[in-house]
Amino acid sequence: MMLFAVAAAAQVNTPTHSKTSTAVSTSAAEHAATLAETGHCSEALPLLTKSAAHVTDKELQKRVGLDGVRCANLLQEQGPLLDLLRVLNQHFPHDPEVLYVTVHAYSDLSTNAARELAQTAPTSVPALEMDAETNELQGKWDEAEKDYRKILAENPKYPGIHFRLARLLLSRPNPGPDFQDEAKKELQKELEIDPGNAGAEYVLGELARQSQDFPDAVRHFSKATQLNPKFADAYLGLGMSLLTEKNYAGAVAPLETAVKLEPRNPAAHYGLATAYSRTGRKEDAQREFALQQQAAERMGGPNAQNPQGPQNPQ
Amino acid sequence: MTAFTRDPLQLTRRHFLWTLGGAAALAGVRDIPAVLAASQYPFEEVLPSASRITWTHTAGKSAQKYLPETTGAGCAFLDYDNDGWMDIYLVNSGKCDFYDPKPPLRNALYRNNRDGTFTDVTEKAGVGAGGYGQGVAVGDYDGDGFPDIYVTQYGRSILYHNNGDGTFTDVTEKAGVAAPGWSSSAVWFDYDNDGRLDLFVCRFVEFSKAENLPCKARNEPGYCVPRLYKPTPSWLFHNNGDGTFTDVSKSSGIEKYLGKAWGVVATDLNNDGKMDLFVANDTTENFLFMNRGNGKFDEIAALAGVGYGETGRPRSGMGVDSADFNQDGWMDLFVANIDHERYSLYQNNHDETFDDQAGPTGVGAATRLMSGWGLKFFDYDNDGNLDLFLANGNPDDLIETMQKDVTYREPLLLFHSDGKTLHNVSAESGPIFSRNFSARGLAVGDFDNDGAADVIVSVNDAAPLLLRNTAAKGNHWLGINLQGKKSNRDAIGARITFQAGDLKRSRMKVGGGSYLSSHDPRMVLGIGKRTKVDWLEVKWPQPGGTTEKFTELPIDRYITIVEGEGIKKIPS
Repeated sequence: MMLFAVAAAAQVNTPTHSKTSTAVSTSAAEHAATLAETGHCSEALPLLTKSAAHVTDKELQKRVGLDGVRCANLLQEQGPLLDLLRVLNQHFPHDPEVLYVTVHAYSDLSTNAARELAQTAPTSVPALEMDAETNELQGKWDEAEKDYRKILAENPKYPGIHFRLARLLLSRPNPGPDFQDEAKKELQKELEIDPGNAGAEYVLGELARQSQDFPDAVRHFSKATQLNPKFADAYLGLGMSLLTEKNYAGAVAPLETAVKLEPRNPAAHYGLATAYSRTGRKEDAQREFALQQQAAERMGGPNAQNPQGPQNPQ
Repeated sequence: MTAFTRDPLQLTRRHFLWTLGGAAALAGVRDIPAVLAASQYPFEEVLPSASRITWTHTAGKSAQKYLPETTGAGCAFLDYDNDGWMDIYLVNSGKCDFYDPKPPLRNALYRNNRDGTFTDVTEKAGVGAGGYGQGVAVGDYDGDGFPDIYVTQYGRSILYHNNGDGTFTDVTEKAGVAAPGWSSSAVWFDYDNDGRLDLFVCRFVEFSKAENLPCKARNEPGYCVPRLYKPTPSWLFHNNGDGTFTDVSKSSGIEKYLGKAWGVVATDLNNDGKMDLFVANDTTENFLFMNRGNGKFDEIAALAGVGYGETGRPRSGMGVDSADFNQDGWMDLFVANIDHERYSLYQNNHDETFDDQAGPTGVGAATRLMSGWGLKFFDYDNDGNLDLFLANGNPDDLIETMQKDVTYREPLLLFHSDGKTLHNVSAESGPIFSRNFSARGLAVGDFDNDGAADVIVSVNDAAPLLLRNTAAKGNHWLGINLQGKKSNRDAIGARITFQAGDLKRSRMKVGGGSYLSSHDPRMVLGIGKRTKVDWLEVKWPQPGGTTEKFTELPIDRYITIVEGEGIKKIPS
């Protein structure tokens, strides 16, 4: 909200665009934008919503769209807000300004919805879930765990909560000595409630892989891919586990799928290149290694996410 | 409530995976075998007051945070005066374009007094160097029986020829091996099997005072990640046999690969009798230069599975070594990386491919948060199996302000081998393994000639750490000093196979390994409680190439085997 106030105030003294279009819709759109930029949002919003999709001048269309989003946000008009965001993202899909405004708009929508949930149904399961997620994000692991266990105490078969609890146990710093076993138990309980939870199968696969139990990893990753045929990380886990088992021929298909689903992931290309190389497909391997290097470069170059230390020149 | 409702799964995945690694580390601790006697730790520190090694490394750390300040330096065990006792060489920082210490700093050569003490003989020997030193590689390049010293530096490296009378002469210009730029590790090896040691010199990045990048961490000046500097090719020099070398970097195929090289080991990975090179690069792909003969190398690291981490991205490779850790007759590889990358133990598949066994051996879990430099496979308890010693320390002195789980100074690590796999025994190995260091170079050598290989660790901006091995008491051993005649004098590339009762083992004498450092050239063959070495076979490298078999061998002492001439005892 504050952002819009500043932006609107700044625009007051800005000369209006000197377009000389004769089209009626253009002049109406310019009028609507001017109204918005001079603080008359209530009057401007219906005009902006109406004009946004039909203005042919791209610059004016973007101006109308952005002004409309700001006004809708200010007035908390959810319907027009979503319409205007759709129009803006359809016509200006990679525009940084549009993306920035979109982030803030959805964030405000999210905040408003969360507030309403907390106010209207504070003891409901969704409200507890929301609270737990927020606590997780803020690193309040104990509070989050309490929230999840509270849900389960009252609704032992509520789907998704055992999975989230397992994830929390695996994510929290300084875990207890048996946290992996505890997490596994929660994941297995989740699968008893919801046998279609691909995420639970995937995490069980990762746990098995970390424990060097590759047959078990293969079993869980395979199940995850069956449950969710678009689960790229599960195909990758499956392929890498098969590579470790020296089942190079078997690793090719899941790694090819992983690459297809996530062509920007260097790990998938690396795994596939290795599988090709070990099955005698040297040319295919070289091609995948080249793609792997390109993908790694796209991610910001070697070690971009390495927390070694200072990374940015002044 | 937060303003942003992001998917917690996405947000915490990385943290989750790190935590999994930590879990594996804990699991590894529970599995440690009781290999150590409770009453005795395997290594004890020899304090400067006892060794009389009072020299200290000075990094010259500045507000400008020049990257070389955090990377040095190396150390070496060598017997420069051929008296049968290991002397010590230590590398220091010195004058360069960004540093001019007053008074000047110098390297140090310490002569072994044969009583546990050392005497600084640097001035007399004339090996003080004085530039911004990094590493040291020792080899008898002219085959005169006296080890020569190559000192790598930021700026210009130095070749010191051993005159055989306790002094050395700087022959760099005549030899043509100055290798300008920022050189790091170097290795002597005979790549063309002509019986003379050639020289490979790792280069790190394009760097100078003018090219130093100002980096910040939490608004404080910090050392930049090497990713920000340009890669550069390493050097390969061919030994002409007349005291000069020819730069064959281009004709050999080495020069076309731009890297950021820290560690190098020369080893024979496909058992073809030609020495290959494994080079650890920092933030670029590692190099595996397979020696194809006729002076040519093929770089096959990616195809071989040793170029990248499992994420498909280059890691920060630093220290390396090569050994047949699983005793299948094929040399394996090891590379140490930076925190959150894990180190890799690459098992040789016998077809120029390798599989990382860091997970099953516990190496991965133990090194998840560590940054590794000097390292060496050796049989510290003389039970016949190759163990592993690692020196660690994060290069970034501000790391603790950014990473809660990583420290700037880090503990040493010790892995014990049961003949099949490795076990992390650091926690049970005494106080030296619970202290933290900015360790860099590491060299292995038996300075007291008791058959138990000792360790020296160079520490950035601090005194070196000399560790006496006390773990091998009660086990028997045979120390071998190989002297090539037709083959290169240091017998780099020779393979020793021996049988002691039920124990049959094979060892290759590799070139280099570790980080910026050079090891005792003798090989100690541990045989545990067995009291006899039944036979021992030496396969000499080309151009000798013969295999000689020996029986009636003594134990618990060093012997010298001269190619084609048999066994010669070392003076005690």
